[in-house]
Amino acid sequence: MVTTFNENLFSPEVVQDPYSYFGRMREEDPVHWNDPYKLWVITKYKDLVWVTRHPEFFSSEVFHRDPLPPYPDIDESDMGLYEYVKDFFSQWFIQHDRKEVTVHEGPDHTDMRKVIHGYFTPKAMELWRPLVQSAIKQLLDEAEERGSMDVMRDYATPLPLLVIAAMMGIDVTDRQFIRSLAEKLLFIGRGNNDRMQPLTEGIMGLQEYLAPMVAERVKNPNGDLLDRMTDAHRVGVMSQEQVVANSILLLLAGHETTINLICNGTRAFMTHPDQWELFKSDPAGRMIRATEECLRYDAPVKSITRIAGDNLELGGKEIHTNERMRWFVTSANRDPEVFDRPDDFDIERYPNPHVAFGSGIHHCLGATLARLEGQEAFKALAERFPDVNMACDPDTLTYTSSITFRTLERLPVNLS
Amino acid sequence: MARQLKITVDYNVCVGNAMCETFAQNTFGLNEDRQSYVKDAAGDPEETIIEAAENCPVTAITVEDAETGEMLFP
Repeated sequence: MVTTFNENLFSPEVVQDPYSYFGRMREEDPVHWNDPYKLWVITKYKDLVWVTRHPEFFSSEVFHRDPLPPYPDIDESDMGLYEYVKDFFSQWFIQHDRKEVTVHEGPDHTDMRKVIHGYFTPKAMELWRPLVQSAIKQLLDEAEERGSMDVMRDYATPLPLLVIAAMMGIDVTDRQFIRSLAEKLLFIGRGNNDRMQPLTEGIMGLQEYLAPMVAERVKNPNGDLLDRMTDAHRVGVMSQEQVVANSILLLLAGHETTINLICNGTRAFMTHPDQWELFKSDPAGRMIRATEECLRYDAPVKSITRIAGDNLELGGKEIHTNERMRWFVTSANRDPEVFDRPDDFDIERYPNPHVAFGSGIHHCLGATLARLEGQEAFKALAERFPDVNMACDPDTLTYTSSITFRTLERLPVNLS
Repeated sequence: MARQLKITVDYNVCVGNAMCETFAQNTFGLNEDRQSYVKDAAGDPEETIIEAAENCPVTAITVEDAETGEMLFP
């Protein structure tokens, strides 16, 4: 059987409904060669888990190792900016492999991650729950006064931003400025030919903002997250410049993905009134499993990249060293080999071994924080506004054109 | 003589993050599915093992006193 796919992963139908597109690929050609992008597209759960748990064969040093020009094409005149962007992202610890296979000089992924891993453990993150709760209360108070809410603008975006800013010691009045720079960095997942321009602006702006703060921590340690990141410099694992780059990563990853969890989760609840009813009957008791199901059903991150580190066979296909790969959470989380009724939104699902946070040694560092914020956001919404409902036809809602992030542009709701 | 520990890994949640192995390399290893397994419950000092369990990002590891059943983590 010859299977054909629309290979433009940025076309509106793929962006709007990735589930149909990548779901069909998972069933018909689970390790698929996308020729225009010179990219292996991995869509089956079992293959995704195998890839993520064998980091010795699949390098995370994507920017450093990718021998080909970026996909989709960028403006020819921006190739210089691309080199700059590549060098910047290559400093991120998530763009490092373990010692045995890394092509980077010096400290490896584990050395770097270990410095800040302890900050994000489940036990340590629990201490932040009261702050998350009070931030939520403030946002919902404001929404109540207004009588309406765009979940994206008024709830999902400010909450995680407020929390990560508090952790990093960022001034409350700078949050909007930080957000506008962070949005430029999201162009990494987009297809615009001129995307190197906003990416460069975002990187330079955030470097300029955070570098003096890191320098201050070097002189006067204060124990906050930025200071913990600076420990990497103190113990000789990162240069001060690398600390700044990785602080940008924490700032960005610390809010962008959670925004999508809260927004996509709320949309799932609103379009499944029976599940919202069930959730409302015991928000505190159901918030943990319900949040896991939101993460599975409409995951914040759609896909992650690797570079083949070896010649190998996957799903009957021959993959060669240095070829690009991209695995899709979107289809893996709906794989019928793993999940019963995979397209149903079922907030009681257990076990729920979704891969919204990836798997293996690169499993999301901030997973516990994202979970905590999602749990509290859904619980508070159900307790404060049990009759919340969509203020528009859900079919008219649109998503940002990104290969990486599953981001709604808006989500207006009525509070009663 | 250090007390004996009973260490359990919940395979419904273990994601193979390998932090347990990083923190307590004589106690934890990765099996062929690249999930954590206990290769020697007395491989490292008790506090090292507890630290490894605490650093599991999904709280897949429980540590008990093997004799009394007292829960040491979580």
